[in-house]
Amino acid sequence: MLQPVCCEAYSSHEQRLQDRMEGKEDKFRATHPRVFTILESFDGLKPRIDVERARYFTDSMRQTEGQALVLRWAKALKHIAENMTVYIDDHQLLAGRAGCQGRYGILYPELDGDFLGLAIEELPKRKESPSYITPEDARVVIEEIAPYWKGKTFHEALNKALPPDVHKLTYDDPEGLASRFVVNETASFRSSIQWVHDYDKVLKRGFGGLKAEALDKLQTLDPLSPVDNVEKRPFLEAMVIVCDAIVHWANRHAALAREVAAAEADPVRKRELLTMAEICERVPEHPARTFHEAVQSQWFTQMFSRIEQKTGTIISNGRMDQYFYPFYQKDMAEGLLTEEKAVELLECMWVGMAQFIDLYISPTGGAFNEGYAHWEAVTIGGQTPDGRDATNELTYLFLKSKREFPLHYPDLAARIHSCAPERYLWEVAETIKDGAGFPKLINDEEVIPLYVSKGATFEEAYDYAVSGCTEARMPNRDTYTSGGAYINFAAALEMALRNGRMKKYGDRALGVETGDPRSFTTWDEFWNAYVRQHELFLKTAFYQQHVIINLRARHFAQPMGSVLHDLCMKHCLDLHTPQIPEGLNFGYFEYIGYGTVVDSLSAIKKLVFEERKLSMDELLEALDNDFEGREDVRHLLKSAPCYGNNDEYADAIAKDIDLLSLEYAKKYSPELGMNNDVRYVPFTSHVPFGKVVSATPNGRRSWTPLSDGSSASHGADVNGPTAVLLSNYTSKNYGYRERAARMLNIKFTPKCLAGDDGTRKLISFIRTFCDLKLWHVQFNVINRETLIAAQKDPEKYRNLIVRIAGYSAYFVDLSPDLQNDLIARTVHETC
Amino acid sequence: MTTQQDKDTTGLVFNIQKYSVHDGPGIRTIVFFKGCPLSCLWCSNPESQAFQTELAFNNGRCLGFSQCVRCLKACPSQAIAQMDDKPVFNREICKDCARPCVDACPASGVIAYGQRKSVAEVLRVVEQDAMFYTRSGGGLTLSGGEPLAQPEFALALLREARRRRLNTSMETCAQVPWEVLRQAAPLLDSVMFDIKSLDNGKHKTFTGATNTRILDNFQRLVAEFPSLPVHVRTPVIPGFNDTEADIRDIAEFVSGHANVSYEVLAYHRLGTQKYTFLNREAPMGDKTLPQERFTELESVAREAFWTPGQEPVAERAVSSQTS
Repeated sequence: MLQPVCCEAYSSHEQRLQDRMEGKEDKFRATHPRVFTILESFDGLKPRIDVERARYFTDSMRQTEGQALVLRWAKALKHIAENMTVYIDDHQLLAGRAGCQGRYGILYPELDGDFLGLAIEELPKRKESPSYITPEDARVVIEEIAPYWKGKTFHEALNKALPPDVHKLTYDDPEGLASRFVVNETASFRSSIQWVHDYDKVLKRGFGGLKAEALDKLQTLDPLSPVDNVEKRPFLEAMVIVCDAIVHWANRHAALAREVAAAEADPVRKRELLTMAEICERVPEHPARTFHEAVQSQWFTQMFSRIEQKTGTIISNGRMDQYFYPFYQKDMAEGLLTEEKAVELLECMWVGMAQFIDLYISPTGGAFNEGYAHWEAVTIGGQTPDGRDATNELTYLFLKSKREFPLHYPDLAARIHSCAPERYLWEVAETIKDGAGFPKLINDEEVIPLYVSKGATFEEAYDYAVSGCTEARMPNRDTYTSGGAYINFAAALEMALRNGRMKKYGDRALGVETGDPRSFTTWDEFWNAYVRQHELFLKTAFYQQHVIINLRARHFAQPMGSVLHDLCMKHCLDLHTPQIPEGLNFGYFEYIGYGTVVDSLSAIKKLVFEERKLSMDELLEALDNDFEGREDVRHLLKSAPCYGNNDEYADAIAKDIDLLSLEYAKKYSPELGMNNDVRYVPFTSHVPFGKVVSATPNGRRSWTPLSDGSSASHGADVNGPTAVLLSNYTSKNYGYRERAARMLNIKFTPKCLAGDDGTRKLISFIRTFCDLKLWHVQFNVINRETLIAAQKDPEKYRNLIVRIAGYSAYFVDLSPDLQNDLIARTVHETC
Repeated sequence: MTTQQDKDTTGLVFNIQKYSVHDGPGIRTIVFFKGCPLSCLWCSNPESQAFQTELAFNNGRCLGFSQCVRCLKACPSQAIAQMDDKPVFNREICKDCARPCVDACPASGVIAYGQRKSVAEVLRVVEQDAMFYTRSGGGLTLSGGEPLAQPEFALALLREARRRRLNTSMETCAQVPWEVLRQAAPLLDSVMFDIKSLDNGKHKTFTGATNTRILDNFQRLVAEFPSLPVHVRTPVIPGFNDTEADIRDIAEFVSGHANVSYEVLAYHRLGTQKYTFLNREAPMGDKTLPQERFTELESVAREAFWTPGQEPVAERAVSSQTS
């Protein structure tokens, strides 16, 4: 029988790169001249570390020792707002930067200041995501900032507080400067997990309105109550100060805009600058009246949030197509706005985002967030609080902007539900086909029932916003902010094979001494050895979390995050308080190396214990020699049933492993006062985790990356993309609610999705993903050859954007390890 | 036939491919039947031609004797010799062997094309993707080889698929008895029907058979089952049917039916490697079809083909004169 040939096809993104190499002008440049000009002013620049935020924060904290932490924080923000340089960028329509012009990152010494001295020397040399600092700024950091924080950072406190048996699986050295990459804490490289504010509140009430609320509450405090006066009063005073701080900061931009306008010769630009000045005088203090004011008000809020604290992988943007829509609709109806003007304003925001780099000072943070990771998720689509489809004209403008403007900011997240209209899915599919990895998809049919079962009301759950990489947040109901453990379960497997030891760490027993597996005669014995290591890791992670939850509140406060939160204001508690009444505490720990562990256990069960094609002795010897001279064993192992193929044998093991985590979480989460649920989202941690794990029984060589998220091991999914989804479905325990996100990567070749017919089939693929109640999926639509060419000739492919782990980044910004990891993921194509 | 009888019927299958999006509506799973009455010189699935299982060897995957001697150890009849670190198979001896070497090979270097499977086993795999068929309008596609060359198995599979409410389609070369095609047609939601040439002589030379039965089957099919969607396809093969006249003749021959569509497909050489695995020469050698040539023939096909109500200009002129 004949097969039709599929012509080689490029994605639009690949076509764009080709055009650029041939010197052609981008076809969308003419219709987006302003933002292209701004983009070109910083594109490809190495980010600079700006020290102003750290310096003014430190100055203020030095002055306020002994006061309530939330008050100190608010005062520090006020000090920053009054002193930090403000900028009005050429061509920009929005004002508000957290640091110098060009690409920049800022420092949070309260978090990881003990790394600073070291890091300032190391950062410029770092292979992954380098940045630079001027000699004068380096001096300020080393002589003025770092010394103050010595002995005061959260990281140092945590290092001291962890019991020895937890410490040894967490850190590799007594100071805790290097991770063990086994049960990895992430609370010390971010002040909060991914978060999203209630921006709608700012647009409707302004910080002036929020300040008034705090002042009213101050009036009602009982003058004789110790709690009211010792706890609530400083909290409310902090709220007033932080509202003043951001308004003051905005007004300084207004003044500067007027100054620049006075010197501006071009009348058009002069008018723009004066408009900016008027808007910055108005918002975010007062409610926004126009689309432009709403965008500016939101922008100030998110930038000030970035100054306030290091929210892991950047503060998210919430349901932008919902809270901006009334302003858009009104301005359009009144003839004040056009589609082009609205898109231009939004794109002014995107280029603003693109200049801010989420810097990681600690080497672990850097390794987890390669390629300047950022998840400032803008959520579109989904449902209204009363459960109707929520898409609107603005939803489609976001998608259009994503297709036309070549930038991987913002991270775009599209909510999918069973009644999502065909037009929405069509445009989502077309945007995915564009090939830059956007949007990622989050499934209402999984998130909403799960959140309701965990305590949310329907209205809250329907109104969730995507937060960070794959989280879903209810901005006035979620109250849990502690970073969770990333657990390397491939290390647990290695320990089951090596009697509690890892090749990387020599003869010291880090895990449970479960015995020499050569003495095991049944599969059950081996499985039990794995289970005991698995439990040890969970126990370690939960101990760790218990310490972290209670320690963080002594080190972190977030007055602005709190003034925007209904429950914080109601109870007069900072958002970092371990328990806030009525709050929902949704946290998670990560299972890293799922595919690697499942495939390894499947190979051991089948080949060693059932078919006896391989003895345990032969297996251990081959692993110890990293398969040197034993390619036959390596291939035999790879021939065992693998996760990601909708194979019952492998998927049953996957489901059993998932269940171990769920059962543990069900039993012990309540003690922590939270939902510490199992999640499968690696960021880029599967690369550094792989570097400590020697050869595994799935045929994986020593020190190479583990499988990512809930995706199959590299190249193990040979049964097509439908099987990848189905394995995910089959391995989930839907009867348990102790589950959080699962991240799934799928790579297609462009030709597989070519034409309208390709779009239609991608839509049905997405609809089925929705039916299967999977949490997340994202796509890379790219030819493998393009990635290989980019690796060889990075200069030419400087603008190649790829999807990594819930975010997109420039391919050439990634380490060779991660580049190879991406190339090795199976590309699905059919003919 | 009872359900149980149908489920137990077995046939020889050489592949089941999921997520097929280029053949037929929606997301489909293709079941490839082994054995074909034609032997087209350009065949891109040479492993589909013979009606028995066949031993094949993928040299690229083989690890070499310096790493692995598992096939050699497993062979019960000394049919494997050694040449330059790699095994060489005496395929005469291998013909009737159960081939433990295939199972022994860890690298999928030694392959057996063709497995006997029951309808129930095939459908168990096909139904795994049922969720995707629901959303996309896809389903099961029979291909080969020639599905109807194993008539009992093909009909049992189609009947049972119908009972399970699967959408069914079939790719056929139509070199089969009309009676078989007649029985299959009511069990199908659509058919992909290959017509390679109207020139009987060339047809015989390039496919090993004349086109008489194929063309006859086409005409009977559209006459007896006018509502069945029939998608006719012609692979354009250099040196065989790559002239305008060839394509125009076919397009005109299949025109004039409400539910018939027509498409030309470009020759490709993706199957070449599999000839090597089977220790056969690829009969087409390194001939290729220039893209421009194919594009021209695509427009010839587009212009010459018509369905009722969309007659080409010249055609309409003629019909209006006669009326």
